[in-house]
Amino acid sequence: MTSVISARNVSKHYGDVRAVDDVSFDIGKGSITGLIGPNGAGKTTLLKAVLGLTDCRGSLSVLGLDPFRQRKELMQNICFIADVAVLPRWIRVNQLLDFVSAVHNHFSRAKAEELLARTKIPARAKVRELSKGMVTQLHLSIITAIDAKLLVLDEPTLGLDIIFRKEFYSNLLGDYYDEGRTIIITTHQVEEIENLMTDVMFIDNGRIVLDASMDTLPGRYVELLASSENAERARQFKPIFEREVFGKQVLTFEGVNRDQLDGLGEVRTPDIADLFVAKVKGAAA
Amino acid sequence: MIETQFALLQRELWEHRGIYVAPIVIAILMTLGALTGQVSVNGIQHVDVGIVGASNLPENARAAMISGIMIGLSTTFVFAMWILTIFYALDSLYAERKDRSILFWRSIPVTDSETVISKLLTAALVIPLVSFALVLITHLAVFLIGSVWVGVRGGNPWHLIWASAPFFDNWTATLIFMFALPLWLSPFIGWFLFVSAFTKRSPFLTAFLPLAVLPLLEKMIFDTAVFAEAFFVRSVKMPLFIDLQTMERLFEEGEHFAMVADAELSLLGLMDIGGFLLSPGLWIGIVVCALFTAAAIYVRRYRDDS
Repeated sequence: MTSVISARNVSKHYGDVRAVDDVSFDIGKGSITGLIGPNGAGKTTLLKAVLGLTDCRGSLSVLGLDPFRQRKELMQNICFIADVAVLPRWIRVNQLLDFVSAVHNHFSRAKAEELLARTKIPARAKVRELSKGMVTQLHLSIITAIDAKLLVLDEPTLGLDIIFRKEFYSNLLGDYYDEGRTIIITTHQVEEIENLMTDVMFIDNGRIVLDASMDTLPGRYVELLASSENAERARQFKPIFEREVFGKQVLTFEGVNRDQLDGLGEVRTPDIADLFVAKVKGAAA
Repeated sequence: MIETQFALLQRELWEHRGIYVAPIVIAILMTLGALTGQVSVNGIQHVDVGIVGASNLPENARAAMISGIMIGLSTTFVFAMWILTIFYALDSLYAERKDRSILFWRSIPVTDSETVISKLLTAALVIPLVSFALVLITHLAVFLIGSVWVGVRGGNPWHLIWASAPFFDNWTATLIFMFALPLWLSPFIGWFLFVSAFTKRSPFLTAFLPLAVLPLLEKMIFDTAVFAEAFFVRSVKMPLFIDLQTMERLFEEGEHFAMVADAELSLLGLMDIGGFLLSPGLWIGIVVCALFTAAAIYVRRYRDDS
């Protein structure tokens, strides 16, 4: 698997705050990576470094380019939708298409128009006249029509209602994604992307606490739902985190064979949200 | 490269509609003024019938009057254009941060230099070009109205108006004036772009407060007036014109008008283009503008508060 992003010892400090603290990782071509972390964990800073919007220390290569110094070349092959990267409110839909076709070599206007025809967005409407859901649809249509290698989504569905959110991800997979394209997503709605991610990265306090392929998670992490006395016996396997649900103990283990937990209770693979809490809180405890 | 720059300039026209709306409004007001006779007659009450045609005036006085009206209109547009340029430059890099669209603009393969330069080009080229087009239209409209007026009263508009004044000289002069002004005032344009790129609030105050406070502080601390003089000279003493007294002659009112008026008088005749291009002040200003523009590019590229 070739790397689309390769980071080695990347740091970004704002004064004394280590927004990103000595981080190394690789993101392979064709993957959909969920970047998950609490507010202020450094997700957005990391993405900004990847997008060349901010300088950073260490070595960071995106599509073989230095993102900060070669931002223009990079932007030919990267797209991003961020909750904060709002479309200008004064622009008309057709003006936006005119502009992007003039400056972007990899943009297919025909494709964008075809995608927009499926929506209720009028071609002459101004962005300010559209609902938030429609603006996101518009943005996604434009980005889908750009033949980019890497798509970065930072809280793309924030503030959207459930219908638009579902539609967003189904359009993303249906129209945008193929083997040659790579996607990075951050979101608070982890369950929405749980089934589409191929890889997951947890970030907390500027550091990566987990970087794994989704396929490997069931082999590495296991959750045991047990009564208190069974939980006591299970503690010998050193759970990384414990919580209580409806009077039962839920223990999360890392690198423990499922057979060893046999007979102690219900054994399952933790979902991403629970695993995240276990990794972050467990590490803090 | 060129296509990108055109797209960026197009963007400025979409975003800042005032660039053409403001001169259009002035053009309409001036034309309406001509219709009611306001622009044409003001101050020349003793001139008889036909107003612009003024067949009872000697030839040279009539030519001077027509040139005077043209120049008056041009000056109005130039003045409005500069106000527009100030507001445009102050808004150009601030609006995209305020409406938070800057990350969208930066997600497109366009460098920060290309973007900031498109704003500078808009202020220095596009705004003057649009204003000039509208001066031309206004001149034509005002004198067409005058022609009808003269024609209805039995005069020959070709002879009395169109053939009597140096139209092309005045237009050329207007064009030169409109492009020379932003060049002469370019250090201010650069400063406004820079302020627009860095300020967190109220670009207008941030830009003008130092212009007022700096000379004041200088006076208080050093008892000198280097800044005050620099700002003043830059604002009012543009070395494009031969001398101000000749200028004033044009706008002189009342009895003396016909006497001082000179048939050769056109705005172009009052200009010293070579002298302007060779004046050190112009080039110092352009260098200052370039420095501020570079600073604006730097700020847009390195600021990190989104």
